[in-house]
Amino acid sequence: MNRTLEHILPKVQKPARYTGGEYNAVVKSKQAVKTRFALCFPDTYEIGMSNLGCRILYGVMNECPDIWCERCYAPWGDMEEEMRREGLLLYGLESGDPISDFDIIGFSLGYEMAYTNVLNMLDLAGLPLRSADRRDLTPLVIAGGTCCYNPEPLAPFIDMFVLGEGEEVTLEYIRLYQLAKEECWSKEEFLQEAAKIEGIYVPSFYEPVYREDGTLEAMEIKPGSGAHEMVRKRIVENMDKSYFPVKTIIPSTEIVHDRVMLELFRGCIRGCRFCQAGYVYRPVRNRNPELLAQYGKAACEDSGYQEMTLSSLSSTDYPCLLELCDNLLDYCAPRDIGVSLPSLRADTFSMNLMERLQRVRKGGLTFAPEAGTQRLRDAINKNLREEDLLQSCRTAFSGGWSGVKLYFMLGLPTETDEDVLGIADLARKVYFAWRECTPNKARGVRITVSTSWFVPKPHTAFQWDAQIPVEEYQRRVNLLRDALKRDKSITYNWHDPETSYLEAIFSRGDRRLADVLEWAWEHGAKMDSWSEYFDYQRWMDALKACGLDGDFYAHRVRPKNEVFPWCRIDTMVNPSFLWHERELCYQSQTTPDCRTRCSGCGANRLLCGGVCNG
Amino acid sequence: MADRLLFSKTGRAKYISHLDLMRTFQRAFARAQIQIKHTEGFHPHPFVSIALPLSVGYSSQCEILEFGLMGDTPREEVPSRLTAAMPEGIIIHQCYSGERKLKELALVNYIMNFEYPEGRPQETEPAMQELLHRESLVVRKKSNKAKLGYTEVDLIPLIRSWNLECQSDTMTLDIVVSAQNPGLNPELLRGAFCQDYPEFTPDFVTFHRREVFDASGCPFR
Repeated sequence: MNRTLEHILPKVQKPARYTGGEYNAVVKSKQAVKTRFALCFPDTYEIGMSNLGCRILYGVMNECPDIWCERCYAPWGDMEEEMRREGLLLYGLESGDPISDFDIIGFSLGYEMAYTNVLNMLDLAGLPLRSADRRDLTPLVIAGGTCCYNPEPLAPFIDMFVLGEGEEVTLEYIRLYQLAKEECWSKEEFLQEAAKIEGIYVPSFYEPVYREDGTLEAMEIKPGSGAHEMVRKRIVENMDKSYFPVKTIIPSTEIVHDRVMLELFRGCIRGCRFCQAGYVYRPVRNRNPELLAQYGKAACEDSGYQEMTLSSLSSTDYPCLLELCDNLLDYCAPRDIGVSLPSLRADTFSMNLMERLQRVRKGGLTFAPEAGTQRLRDAINKNLREEDLLQSCRTAFSGGWSGVKLYFMLGLPTETDEDVLGIADLARKVYFAWRECTPNKARGVRITVSTSWFVPKPHTAFQWDAQIPVEEYQRRVNLLRDALKRDKSITYNWHDPETSYLEAIFSRGDRRLADVLEWAWEHGAKMDSWSEYFDYQRWMDALKACGLDGDFYAHRVRPKNEVFPWCRIDTMVNPSFLWHERELCYQSQTTPDCRTRCSGCGANRLLCGGVCNG
Repeated sequence: MADRLLFSKTGRAKYISHLDLMRTFQRAFARAQIQIKHTEGFHPHPFVSIALPLSVGYSSQCEILEFGLMGDTPREEVPSRLTAAMPEGIIIHQCYSGERKLKELALVNYIMNFEYPEGRPQETEPAMQELLHRESLVVRKKSNKAKLGYTEVDLIPLIRSWNLECQSDTMTLDIVVSAQNPGLNPELLRGAFCQDYPEFTPDFVTFHRREVFDASGCPFR
């Protein structure tokens, strides 16, 4: 181990997150590999190590003998301070070598509030922040992940963005990079060729042109760049043939999701109108249940984990869920391996399943009705009926559960005070369901209502809509709080509005926000998803210093013909479909799920044969 | 009698904390498909216990872990199978039946290496000798229980024997100290030295646990 690092580690908290050397971490000889890749996650080790996508890409790359992928996470403040003092550059965990010596530095972007960490990590690596200031091909700085569906706020910093699922395209651009290295291409030459690969967005090839009012006139294609009119996201067509990370790194210290993650399927049949994941991960592609059971068992054996979680956007919608669960239970039960099923719908089927899976622990149950009235749930296409929710609660309470968490959003399009008060009514009905069904009234019940402030996201039916103003959000919070004041069994938590406002700015932001990011970072912004570090005033100062108005991004209703910063990015869900969904919202009309009836969103065109596996 | 492992913890594994190490062992037994006894009660989990917790950042070649072997795994297979299932830096040397009680573990030998990469001042050696030859050496020790947030301990009675060796850029203290009830954390010695001789504060100090003994000075297993 590097001597400087060894001297630093005794001074910092939780040093095990900075050492590497975990079970299944891949160590190769740097002489024996052609390409070195730093897979960077712009948050702490505990968060980054829990990311399934990173585990998959790590495995995909390291299966190739000539590629060595290492991990890199954002150091916590104490570690960063020591690194800067000692002049220790950001390094890959496996080798300890500085990532600035690597070929490709790839960031996983899942959350807007991690953007400043991207800048901070580039700086800790000793690299110029802006793509234009990094003249050489090496190191190439790229990014992938859900946030890349609107890459524009980070555009000046990143050489290229990779859209969609990375299993296949990662190897495609690495092979191209290897050719470029062999033939001594310039960075520009490489990027021009890379832009021809489906799923690659090279931001320097697109030039935003603004109108006087600050809206976009166009995203112009740089002449001669050969960049695509539209950059289409990538998907893995056949989930049964795609890589599954059976052997993954088992951390030697605790992380957030410290268990086997079994990914059942991608996509979601539901079509909730606010949900970005529900649109951008289309079409639905299921994994074969027998294969999943095999993977799950093999992953338990390899990891020694005593816990497995079935993951997807809506696990109840997996067509072979019962069969899979029975199969897994046969293996897990005798070995005391717990199986958990998050992302369940609040229906009877799911509750019965929960009963079977969780025979021991009966902690809290969590449901996300999102809205308080049927009218608003219809408007956002959250096809959950009140009776289903209450029936689920009854089943749970009869079975001994004594706590329910209910998640809602405030500020959804078309929301009225009646909808806000509907949340209180619903929570009370849940309370009465408990009174009616619990076998043990003396034990009491904990009903927690949590509300967040709705953030409209790109590529959703609400991409045109405004986030409600903060005063209005606060008023609705107060309205609900007053309505719940007298219910002692109901606890009400609301999300503080400051981060939600910034999320709303950056999620639909344009390239001008890059200056805001840089200004904020220069003035100390990092780890903005951590309250220890988050400083709202700094962000307001940053916007002001750059002459931008946050409300323009967060609180403005866009017209139908608005040119979005992400207009060159194609999820294959037609914008006309999204607009139609928005119109249905304003009529409080639902759209059936994909399995009931295809609504013709367009994502089926990504599949050979054009038929979704809904 | 319980089964025991003798293992070393060096390199990157030095930074795995005590609790994390226990969890690592529990999972490693499962990975190596070695069945071990579980605790009883509402949430049974594999039982492992480490004889003498090691501070984070220290290396050791004499760690002892207690557990209960079940199933048909022969003891002699455990070291190689378990080592293969471990993170880098943890090597299992022996698996055997523990014949003595853990509380008989009385003494522990540390090698403390004081590093002076710019060259070691000559006077560090007499300074350390002076310190260790004192009648008493009372230092403050952090304590969450004590009202003041610290307690005072005299280190001298807790030291059994020592040997000091010096080279041009290092000073190596080979010391045997009390292991438990109360034990002496060699970090306190480093602290006392740096406090009384701030001019000789080394660039860095490494700590290595070399051997554990019973009260009579025989290696404890």
